[in-house]
Amino acid sequence: MRGFVVLLLLSLATPEAGGQAPPKPPPAINGCVDCHTALEDPRITPPAKLFADDVHAKAGFTCVFCHGGDGRQEDQEKAHDPAKGFIGKPKPREIPELCGKCHSDAALMKQYDPSQRIDQLAEYRTSGHGKALARGDTTVAECANCHGAHGIQPVKDSRSPVSPTKIAQTCNHCHGNAALMAAHQLPSDPYEKWSRSVHYRARVEKADLSAPTCNSCHGNHGAVPPEVGSVANVCGTCHVTFADQFKLSPHWEPFKEMGLPGCVACHENHEIVKPTEAFLADGAESKCSSCHEADSKGARAAAEMHSDLVGLDREIRRATQLADRAAEAGMEVSKVRFDLVAATNALTKARADVHLFRPSAVHAAVAEGLKVARGAATGGEARLKERDFRRRGLFISLGLILLSIAALVVRIRERERSTREPAE
Amino acid sequence: MEATAREPGSGGVTRRSWASWLLGTSLGATLFAFLYPVLNYLVPPASSEPSLSEFELDLKAADVPPSSGRIVPVGGKPVLLLKNAAGELSALTATCTHLDCTVQYRADRTDVWCACHNGTYDLKGRNISGPPPRPLTPLEVYVRGEKIVVKRA
Amino acid sequence: MSEAKRSSSSAPDPAPRAPGESRLHAWARDRLGWDDLAHLAAKKRVPVHRYTIFYYLGGMALFLFLVQVATGILLLLYYRPSAAEAFESVQYMMADVPFGWLIRSIHSWGANLFVGVVFAHLISVFFLKAYLAPREMTWVTGVLLLFLALGFGFSGYLLPWNTLAFFATKVGTDVPAQIPVIGHLLSRIMRGGSDVSGATLSRFYGIHVAILPAISTLILGAHLLLVQRHGMSVPRSVEGKTRRSISFVPDFLMRDMVGWLAAVGLLAALAAFFPWELGVKADPFAPAPAGIRPEWYFLWMFQGLKYLPAKIFGIPGETLGVLFFGALGAGLLAVPWLDPRGKRGIVVAALVVLAAAAILTVLALLPVPGEAKP
Repeated sequence: MRGFVVLLLLSLATPEAGGQAPPKPPPAINGCVDCHTALEDPRITPPAKLFADDVHAKAGFTCVFCHGGDGRQEDQEKAHDPAKGFIGKPKPREIPELCGKCHSDAALMKQYDPSQRIDQLAEYRTSGHGKALARGDTTVAECANCHGAHGIQPVKDSRSPVSPTKIAQTCNHCHGNAALMAAHQLPSDPYEKWSRSVHYRARVEKADLSAPTCNSCHGNHGAVPPEVGSVANVCGTCHVTFADQFKLSPHWEPFKEMGLPGCVACHENHEIVKPTEAFLADGAESKCSSCHEADSKGARAAAEMHSDLVGLDREIRRATQLADRAAEAGMEVSKVRFDLVAATNALTKARADVHLFRPSAVHAAVAEGLKVARGAATGGEARLKERDFRRRGLFISLGLILLSIAALVVRIRERERSTREPAE
Repeated sequence: MEATAREPGSGGVTRRSWASWLLGTSLGATLFAFLYPVLNYLVPPASSEPSLSEFELDLKAADVPPSSGRIVPVGGKPVLLLKNAAGELSALTATCTHLDCTVQYRADRTDVWCACHNGTYDLKGRNISGPPPRPLTPLEVYVRGEKIVVKRA
Repeated sequence: MSEAKRSSSSAPDPAPRAPGESRLHAWARDRLGWDDLAHLAAKKRVPVHRYTIFYYLGGMALFLFLVQVATGILLLLYYRPSAAEAFESVQYMMADVPFGWLIRSIHSWGANLFVGVVFAHLISVFFLKAYLAPREMTWVTGVLLLFLALGFGFSGYLLPWNTLAFFATKVGTDVPAQIPVIGHLLSRIMRGGSDVSGATLSRFYGIHVAILPAISTLILGAHLLLVQRHGMSVPRSVEGKTRRSISFVPDFLMRDMVGWLAAVGLLAALAAFFPWELGVKADPFAPAPAGIRPEWYFLWMFQGLKYLPAKIFGIPGETLGVLFFGALGAGLLAVPWLDPRGKRGIVVAALVVLAAAAILTVLALLPVPGEAKP
């Protein structure tokens, strides 16, 4: 009975056959889904159910567009007819081409989403994943591994595994698997390291999506780690000032010659933590001492910059403490705090100027900041003096009050005595 | 006891009058200690207007060259004061909406730029590129006599 | 010329100067005619017994009220009652006006001290049963003064126009809206509109500096007159044992003054060590910060209302709460008639109410997990 209804309705719709041809207007009923859902088989039912919510389904594409076969047929053999293009479950090696069949077709994509790119397949072939897959390694990612197969959502949709909030975890699926990564001679801790970085904190804790995640630095479809010579360019897409300064610094040429990876040499690639002055010092966190021997010109330059920055930081802290103490005592400190903002800006600039690796530049920036910070400290001290003036005034007044009270008590006592000894 | 207490002018300070003197003097001094701040309070301070929603800058309108911008403190916060080529004044809050660095005016590109992470705004404060998620707030500016007055919108 | 001499007043010849009386004193006495008052004052005596110390509370409340009036008048010289300028004018006082910080902090701390002493005075009068005949009207005027004091506190709290005050007023003016029938009208009248705004500020300002002071003057005058007329009440338990008394002028007054000086010293110390906070200017469009609550003397009502269920027998819980508070207020006024013979029952009832209020106040002050300090 159901088959009859299907056929009846299908006969009203435009007939459609194999999936290899360009799409025609969608049929009214997707026979594949009906059968696969009804069968309740854990292998074939879930995909059919998921597909209902798929972005392709909503655009009018059905199972046969990827899997081939004939969706109008009720008989399994007829539906799964290889002559009608049925390929069953695609093999991993086939998937990029399968998706690319539509997604690299400019004329086709224009009909559905004109602003979407069509070079994903070309990019993929240049990537680490693409090259490995071409060599026959099926343990690498292809389209369906990241985008899903049947419940595919647009990238902007937060349900998509490659949406900005989820993509790092998707990459980590494989890149955090120690055994899998060992087989490819890759580390399995990039996600773990990145989760300790300032970029992770910005993205996850401050919901600042302008901070980078995996694809920001590695690319999407053409994912490869940046070459050592390109690291500064990649970091420099956001950290423009630092990259520009680094390229002007005495480190630029030597790093290129030595094949050192630019910014990553001091800042790491994944576990990028908040830099501190300790990087310049000669303790455990020192970055300079890994190349510059103690007492060399470089080491001395580092020490100079270090002491300059620490000095300004200390001065700002001192002024801030004074302002806080004054504010707690109820004094008005807005001008002091404004100056401190300017001083902190100077410190930020001085820290940026470290990347010129010339002590004189840092010194100049620090000198500016010190002037302002010292002014702020003076302001804070003045307000504390005012607080002391108030307290002195209070103690004097309290003293007078106590004196008056004492005088009153004396007088009261006197009167008591005199009333107890009434005059004769 | 009473004899000494009662006899007026009996020569020498009596205990009662000593106590009365002490009382009178201390109360008087206390009263003075109360009046001193009150009387000072009545005298208005040098800046006789409270800074309200408008702030008079320590800057003459004529001292700002055209096509320039500078940071001025307004109510404790940094504000970017701009003057365009036609000589019109405008003002924007100067705290970058990304991570709170202080922005600056770029004359060569006539835009507003944040050096920390390369955020850019146009002269109306709209965030046009880089990480800043929100625009800067424009503030009303006008000239009163010679001085520049900035008003919190 | 001689006519001029003859035309001196038909009033009786002025009494001769008493020994030791200064010329100025005599001159004033003749013109102001205060002899009668002076006699009354000299006659007034204060009984001395175990509970005499409580007699000081009334005078202390009066003194603190006068401190509020004095500092309030001084604040008037710089305060600007508009939403655009109120906060800034208070900031100006705290930062720029010489000793402005002192006057303002004394006024704010003094308000709390004043309300506290008024409560203490009420409680001591209650437990000493000084409301018994013929002092019923003294009690009634006193309770009205308490309500006026709370009104002063509520209206004054908004005047700095900071976030805390703004939202506390929002909550506080929501409460009368729960009264059936007239509630919404009452709330609108209080707010000067449908919401708390600059109009509310103007209104509260007028209430705080003109309306309430005028009413208070009248009722305070009545209260003091009645106290003078009936004299100091002596609790029954010490009635027979009281033999000593001291003169009001100057003995009791001198002891009063000790207390007053101590109070001023306390206020000055509080102003210097714990200046009253200014906070952040109110922004009606910002969401209410967590931890909003009214001043401590309203906390028991605030907390009590929180515990009421949304509906009791179909009537909104808050309405019943507000009506209950109204009943408490009416009961307070009616105490002399609820307990005309000074029995024990009312004491028990009062202790229950006080204990409940104290517990609710403590609960209101406990930090709620996850809430920031306002």
